Amino acid sequence: MKQKPRVAVFDFADCEGCELEIADLEEEILDLIEIADIVSFREVMKEHSDSYDIAIVEGSIMRPMDEKRLRSIRSRAKILIALGACATMGGVNKIRNQWMPDEVKNEVYGTANLKGNELFDVFQTKALNEVVPVDYYIYGCPIDRDEFKSVITAIALGKKPDIPRYPVCVECKKNENICQFELGAFCLGPITRAGCKAICPTHNSPCEGCRGLIKKADTECVKEVLERYKLSYEDIRRRCTMYNYGRKECSYDE
Amino acid sequence: MKQLIKTITKKDFSTFVNMLIKDGSYDVVGVQAKGKRYVFDLLESAEELRLDYDVTILPPKKYFLPQYEMLLKFSLQKPFERKETIADIPRIIIGVHPYDIIALQQTDRHYLDQQQDTFYKKRRENTIIIGIDIQNVSERSFAASMKTNTTESGFDLLLTDIGSTYAVTIGSEKGNNLLKKYATMKDASSTDLNKIKAARIAVLKEYKQKVKIEKKDWSPLLVANYNHAIWEEHADVCMECSSCTMVCPTCFCYDVKDEVSLNLQQGNRTRTWDGCMLKDFTKVGSGEVFRDEVKERYRHRFFRKGNYLPERYGFVACVGCGRCGSACLPDIADPCNLINELAHFTSEDDTDRYFIKEENEVLEKGIIHVPRSATIKKITPFNELDSLFEIELDDKKPLGHKPGQFVEVSVFGYGEAPFGISTPPGNTPIFEIMVRQVGNVTKKLCALQPGDKVGIRGPLGNGFDVKSFEGKTLLFTSGGTGMVPMRSIINHVLDSKQRDKFKEIIILYGAKRPKEITFMDDVDRWKKIHNVQCELTVDRCEASECWGGCTGLITTLFPKIQADKLDSKNTIAVVIGPPVMYKYVIKCLQTLGIPDDNIYVSLERRMKCGVAKCGHCQINGIYVCKEGPVFNYGKLKQLPEAF
Repeated sequence: MKQKPRVAVFDFADCEGCELEIADLEEEILDLIEIADIVSFREVMKEHSDSYDIAIVEGSIMRPMDEKRLRSIRSRAKILIALGACATMGGVNKIRNQWMPDEVKNEVYGTANLKGNELFDVFQTKALNEVVPVDYYIYGCPIDRDEFKSVITAIALGKKPDIPRYPVCVECKKNENICQFELGAFCLGPITRAGCKAICPTHNSPCEGCRGLIKKADTECVKEVLERYKLSYEDIRRRCTMYNYGRKECSYDE
Repeated sequence: MKQLIKTITKKDFSTFVNMLIKDGSYDVVGVQAKGKRYVFDLLESAEELRLDYDVTILPPKKYFLPQYEMLLKFSLQKPFERKETIADIPRIIIGVHPYDIIALQQTDRHYLDQQQDTFYKKRRENTIIIGIDIQNVSERSFAASMKTNTTESGFDLLLTDIGSTYAVTIGSEKGNNLLKKYATMKDASSTDLNKIKAARIAVLKEYKQKVKIEKKDWSPLLVANYNHAIWEEHADVCMECSSCTMVCPTCFCYDVKDEVSLNLQQGNRTRTWDGCMLKDFTKVGSGEVFRDEVKERYRHRFFRKGNYLPERYGFVACVGCGRCGSACLPDIADPCNLINELAHFTSEDDTDRYFIKEENEVLEKGIIHVPRSATIKKITPFNELDSLFEIELDDKKPLGHKPGQFVEVSVFGYGEAPFGISTPPGNTPIFEIMVRQVGNVTKKLCALQPGDKVGIRGPLGNGFDVKSFEGKTLLFTSGGTGMVPMRSIINHVLDSKQRDKFKEIIILYGAKRPKEITFMDDVDRWKKIHNVQCELTVDRCEASECWGGCTGLITTLFPKIQADKLDSKNTIAVVIGPPVMYKYVIKCLQTLGIPDDNIYVSLERRMKCGVAKCGHCQINGIYVCKEGPVFNYGKLKQLPEAF
């Protein structure tokens, strides 16, 4: 039998929730280890190896030391997979890009002396692909376990993962939800990439856009809808800040 | 036929429903409240029923074509193992409004045509429909204008609220038996019958939305306004979310995907609702998108409802439920508004466009989504991208194809892709296809070895009617991979048993580069045959490549045709190539004096299901996988989306 690929899971600035989703595969973890050797996964195991074929990386890049570590991971891995909103697009970590790093440090740590401490040597938040080339993207905050499985099986079979390029509305309608706009709420579903099975609106919470925008928030159609529902551009800008600060619409091939 | 009408008190009806639930042999589904809206869902008790509802979020279509439906299970470990999965739960749906009943009858026309969808059929047979006359009209509904507010067929039982009792119109033996078994009824009196009429009339005044023109006038109105500015104006604010098609009771297009278990042992082939408003809907393996602009997709949806399906089946495929109108955030999806808006304008474009339809005979019977097992016999690479595959059907039955037809090739776990058949018809289970590595399926195919198994569906589509070419001069023009199906017809007419039936044969063949020329052995053979003129060209030639022939686009070959041999009125021209080629080649053919009706083309689109169901390959109202891929140019040129 062909040797199983060696897989390592790493994290940067994040909540480790996407890694937890992998751990939550529960008995299907056994299926995963049938097709891959997990050689490093700090959240669930104590063993570690620096020899791996596939790196699954969660989190955003905040500091020069992160950049260095990510480059080192990239140099070892044949395939690099960005896991979750923080890794694929910067996610909530990019909220602070509204201010300069010094302003943020000042706000949080005041007059504490952080000079020379590389842990606090932050620059503006970057997604993984702003530092190194990324081969595959698994979107979401957190990721969808079924999509994780479909990306992993696609890589294992040598096919292109099938990531939707249509909006959350498609999946939301299939779930027969009452539209969030109809309920008086404001939802990013119409301009956000699907693949989450519309989990938030299905549980009566409007979409926050964690899988990335597929349409610019300032296009004619969005303006029309904002007007119709008496919302301001400021509302949508603020809503997009949560996960999509400074981001343009997703590129088609991402 | 006069229908039997009974009455049942509301209390007895509740008892009847509770008995059905208790019986346990059916899934009993009924209309229930969900917040301020309504849905069809499993009933636990008759109490939950809300028969006074206006409209449900999704139509009952979801019980016949579910949002997600497994078509078959396959194994990735065994060479070729698949099991079709047909759901078999008898179901009773209570509270279906007449417009939704009519929508189901319309879907029947499509899904129960000659290429029946077994999954749909089984569910239709297994389901008892208890309809109800509309009591409250939803704000956006225009069912009265569409004359879908009442119906005389399509139900097993139909309720009408006539005060303290329901009048029950019996529509089928199944419905009657159910009543006899579980309900206490009385015969309806003439007063009751009058009450039914009164109830139906009383509700009419509730309709706020009215279409200003008759149903029969939708089609000519749309055709006359094919190029109207309205499509672009509305498309500018379209979110491209396809919510309109998702909630529509008469939309039935779907996508098919292979899903694989994490341990790569087995998988499912699943279909799910797809929407023609989504950009990837028409995307083919090579990356081309055939309705790229939002405007084109937006127009397509209305034409499908108001022109394409009416041309095909004789009904407007909109039942006026109003769901799309309320689901569309920028409010541009409502057919009532659109038609009324168009009716205001005078026609800008009054060309009499005729959307051709040709019904070809159906060669394959059986379950339409389940492939037959076949074995790869030989793989011969032409170059790094293209390889010739020889495939044999494991049941050893002849494929039985015509030149120009195609097969869907399945690789479990990867999906299906359409391939033109490149061998001439013959009494053999062995045939050839050419595989160009562009997508998941084709890349995987090229990684397979002789002896490996694949799935085959087909032959599919409409091939060439070679018999009608007899006595004519034949001019074959192919570009790139167009040579694949072209080789089938060329070798068919050059067959010694056939050759005398045709006059001169001229073959023009263009490839991008010398190394992309395929079937060179055939080409060499054709060149040596008396009465055959065979000319080759390449678009360009790199310095490293060896090429002594003609360089230039395919059109540069036309001056080489010995015009004296060409009796243009008695010449049949066949053109197969990439989309961009047709316009230029057809101009050359017209210059030669060949009438449009003597020109045949074969088109490439996203032929996903191959049986005119899933909707992806549509060119205007035409299903390329069924009416094509071979078309007569004289007819096809009337379709604006064809070239």
